[in-house]
Amino acid sequence: MRETWVVAAASNRYGKMKESGREAATRVAWEAIERSGLAPKDIGYTFVSNAFGVAERQAHVGPLINTSLGIPDVPSCTIESACSSSSAGLHEAFVHVAGGFADAALVVGVEKLSHLDTLAATSYFAMGADYAFETKNGATFPGLYATLADAYQHAFRTQPEMFGSIAIKNHANAALNPHAQFRKPISLDVYLNSPVIASPLRLYDCCPFSDGAAAVVVAAREFVRTPKTEPLVIRASARSGSIGDMHDRPDLLGLPATRTASQKAFRQAKMEPKDIDFLEVHDCFTIAEALALEDLGFYPRGTAARESLEGSTALHGRLPVNPSGGLKAKGHPVSATGAGQVVEIFEQFNGLAGARAVPKTDTALAHNVGATGSSCSVHIFSRR
Amino acid sequence: MRGYRCPNCQFVTATWSLACPRCGAARLGEIDLSGRGRVVAHTVQNVPGDEFLNEAPYAYVIVELEEGGRITGWMPTVRREEDLAIGDHVRFSGSYKPGVQFVKDEPRAE
Repeated sequence: MRETWVVAAASNRYGKMKESGREAATRVAWEAIERSGLAPKDIGYTFVSNAFGVAERQAHVGPLINTSLGIPDVPSCTIESACSSSSAGLHEAFVHVAGGFADAALVVGVEKLSHLDTLAATSYFAMGADYAFETKNGATFPGLYATLADAYQHAFRTQPEMFGSIAIKNHANAALNPHAQFRKPISLDVYLNSPVIASPLRLYDCCPFSDGAAAVVVAAREFVRTPKTEPLVIRASARSGSIGDMHDRPDLLGLPATRTASQKAFRQAKMEPKDIDFLEVHDCFTIAEALALEDLGFYPRGTAARESLEGSTALHGRLPVNPSGGLKAKGHPVSATGAGQVVEIFEQFNGLAGARAVPKTDTALAHNVGATGSSCSVHIFSRR
Repeated sequence: MRGYRCPNCQFVTATWSLACPRCGAARLGEIDLSGRGRVVAHTVQNVPGDEFLNEAPYAYVIVELEEGGRITGWMPTVRREEDLAIGDHVRFSGSYKPGVQFVKDEPRAE
């Protein structure tokens, strides 16, 4: 298995795209390839993610993207794992390149839902759940994470301000991110007065519906030789699964797939949580960020929300979490999110993060889950 | 109400499965569920999906059944977060419209 790098990453601004998903995906892919110093013809495989492409009446979009990049003969496939689609795509790209099946690979994720009304968008998002045993019995997607928040606050006697601090931090970070959907900080008052979506989750506990596209170029070190950018050495690329329906898992305090994926990743990288300088985690809802930090091994169970209130995870805190603004405030174009986390890490490593720059950028971890956590990707990156 | 129990590890679930998700032993056996249990987690939802459009606000609940497994359902009479608490007793109302419906129940003598 050969050393494999992320040599470039690019995204557009999340929010509302006028162009189609296929056009947006092609443009960010082009930008990433240009940034990498490689040529389109160097790409050996394209891994596309577009879980809800049928919302644009479009499936099988890989060949269309490759054609418009001028590389129609390059194979492609679509990788779907709900909200962890493009990190699953990154894993496949890594496996292909590290295993010697391609010298370079392209990962591109895109979602476009802004042309749908709230009810239709809600119904698409709900497809991440178990239709027969969750949705049919009344669950909405926020409702599922709300039950995790209900169990957590019951077990650990948390205060709303703790979850509010996660939303406030992520909005503050996103205000410094040109790619972010939301560019204004929010106050605790705004958070506490926002309407309840699914108790105890309020509007500002929930990530938005977003359009967006992000791309990553992965290449073997021996193929690149003199990189144009500061590459991210992929030290770990791990995927895991768990029992599909959260109510069938042993308990609701955490996502088991995050625990197993992160254990695999730290083992692959020969690292521990203390070796990580900053992270991008899957904060589809504020509860998800707290659970992620505990499941990944950074904080003991039940303490992450409190740590957030104390500022530990702020941009200049001991452990910066979601400097991009996270899913909560940067946005969550479902299939682009995993690749978008790598864009943030790439920009931090390459001095492109502007006012969002975190103090130490030698190592980073990206955590991305699908739906209610039954699929999970954990990637660990470091400098050469 | 139908459920499944693993003959090897006794895992109980109402979710269709062929093999046991907990121990992997082949072939869960079918059992009847009483429909009685206690609330493990709940949420009152204000933004419904299309099949529950006319029902909001309502509670979505995760119930731990007497038999030991868990099931999900909805409660039309629980319209505010404070109307229900973790640990409350509930029972299946008999209705599947539009999904498994629970109502509050009296605690039973153990």
